[in-house]
Amino acid sequence: MRRASDISPAEIAALKARVPSAFAAPFGRRALRAFGILAVLLWLALLFWWFDISPSRLRHGLAGLRVILRLMIPPSVGAQWPDILRGLAESVAMAFCGTVIAALLALPLGFLGARNVLSQILAHFSLRRGFDALRGIDQLIWALAFVRAVGLGPLAGTLAIAAAEIAVLAKLFAEAIENADPHQTEAVRAVGGSRLLAIRFGLLPQIFPVLLAQILYAFESNTRSASILGVVGAGGIGLQLAERIKIRYWNEVAFIILLLIVVVGLLDFLSGRLRRRLVAAD
Amino acid sequence: MLELEGLSCRFGETVAVAEVSLRVPEGQMLGIIGRSGAGKTTLLRMINRLQEPSAGAIRFHGQEITRLRGKALRRWRAQCAMIFQHFNLIPRLDVLTNVLMGRLFYRSEMASLLGLFAASERALALELLERHGLLETALKRAGTLSGGQQQRVAICRALMQEPRLILADEPVASLDPRNAQLVMDALRRISREDGISVLVNLHDLRIARSYCDRIVALSAGRVVFDGAPDALTESRAREIYGAPDEESPAFETSHPFAVV
Repeated sequence: MRRASDISPAEIAALKARVPSAFAAPFGRRALRAFGILAVLLWLALLFWWFDISPSRLRHGLAGLRVILRLMIPPSVGAQWPDILRGLAESVAMAFCGTVIAALLALPLGFLGARNVLSQILAHFSLRRGFDALRGIDQLIWALAFVRAVGLGPLAGTLAIAAAEIAVLAKLFAEAIENADPHQTEAVRAVGGSRLLAIRFGLLPQIFPVLLAQILYAFESNTRSASILGVVGAGGIGLQLAERIKIRYWNEVAFIILLLIVVVGLLDFLSGRLRRRLVAAD
Repeated sequence: MLELEGLSCRFGETVAVAEVSLRVPEGQMLGIIGRSGAGKTTLLRMINRLQEPSAGAIRFHGQEITRLRGKALRRWRAQCAMIFQHFNLIPRLDVLTNVLMGRLFYRSEMASLLGLFAASERALALELLERHGLLETALKRAGTLSGGQQQRVAICRALMQEPRLILADEPVASLDPRNAQLVMDALRRISREDGISVLVNLHDLRIARSYCDRIVALSAGRVVFDGAPDALTESRAREIYGAPDEESPAFETSHPFAVV
C-alpha cells in the first residue's frame, strides 16, 4: 500500500501540473475572498465610527444599566397588581387569538404559494412576492394602524399580530409543502384519488408535524411581542410596563419582567409536551 | 491476526451478538452472511468500537482493543477503516476533501480544522482517485456522484487511513451489479496485494461465494457456519436462512428476482 510519506516531490509536481486546483484555489478566487473579508471589516469599522460606538460610551452605558438593575432589586408586586395580571392575561389571549386567525388564513395561502400545488409560474411568483412584501411590515406598524382603525385595546393588538403573522406562516407552510416527499402523493393519485384527496392523504400527514411546530413557535414568539404592543395602546401588559418605566418604578418593572419570563417558559414547556403527544409515533 | 473471543452485545433484553469467537489471519477476505437482523452490522461496529461490546474480547496482533480510550481508541479506528452501506460521505464537501478526511487522525487538529492538508497527502489522494477512475470528479461535490462512484470514493478514503484492517458493512447492497463488481474487485485487490484482512458483511450469497476466502454465517447473533465457500452447500444455506420464504436468498442456480 502507498503511504503519504512514499510520495516523491517529482510525483507531487507532476500532479500539481495536471490538477492545479486540487492543491490551491485559483488566484482569482483567493483574491476575491480576501477582498470580501476586507470589505466587510471596513464596512463594520465605518458603522462603528458613524454610530460613535466607543469603549468609553459602552462603559458608561453599562454603568447606567447597573443602576437600573440595582433599583430592580427586590422586585415588588406594587399596589396595582390586579391590573398587571389582567394585562398579562390580555397579552397571552391576544397572542393566542392572533396566531389562530393567522394560521387559519395562512393554511390555504401556503398551499397556493407552494410550487408543487400551484404550478402556474406567474401566480406562484406574485403570491410569494406578496408574502415577502407583507412580511416587510412590522407588527408594531400594523398595531399603530389598527389602533387608528378600531380604537385602543386588545382588538387592535390581535389584528396586528394576525396581520403580521399570516405572511410569515404562509411562507413557512409553502416551504414545508414544497419540501414534502412527492412519492406519497403519487401513491394516492396512482390508486385513483383526486388532487384534493392526494393533498388530504399524501401531503397533510407529512407536513402536519412541521405546521404544528411552526404554529406553536409563532404563538410563543407572539406572546413575547404582545407584551410590547400595549406601548402604542394596542392592549396587553405593554401599557403597564411602559407607565412604570416612565415613572421609574423599576422594582415593579422587574416583577412584570419576571412574570413574562415565567409565562413564556410555561408556554414553551406546554407546547413541547403537546408537540410530543401529537407528533411522536404512538 | 484479529481475534474475537466470546464477543457479545445486548440491547436490553435483545441479544444482537452472542459469544462470537473468530480468528482472522492477515490478508484473509472474510464474508459474513446471514438474514437481516442476524447481528452482522453490530459485529462489525463492535470491532471498531462504534458499538460497545457487552462482553468478550477483541485482540489485534495481541493488543486488547476493548479497553482502548481517547487517543489510543482513535488510532485504532484510523487503523481499521470502515466502509458503510450508505457510503457516509459528506455530500456538500468535494470528493478530494472527503478522501483527505482519511488522514484526520495522523495530522495536527489545528491544521485540519483550517482545512490545510500537505501536498503529499493531496497527491496521494489524487493518485488513489485516479486508480479508481475518479480523478475527473476530484473537485466535484461528493453528493453529485452516482452511488457506485460514491462507494469508490469511500474506498479511497479508507485507503488514505493506511488501514491494517478493513470492515465493510454491506458495501454493495445499494449498488447495481456492475458497480457492485467494481467495489468487490477493489476490496479483493486490497486484501490480496496489501495483505490486509477484509471483513465484509454481505446478504448476497453468490457474491460471498465468488469473492471470499472464508464464510461465516450468523443466525440470531451466533456463528452457525464457518468454513470455505465450497463447504456452504445449498442445504446448509437453507438451514442458515431458515425455511424458504421471501427472505431466503437466491442460490447460484436460480434467477436473482425469482419468486419462490
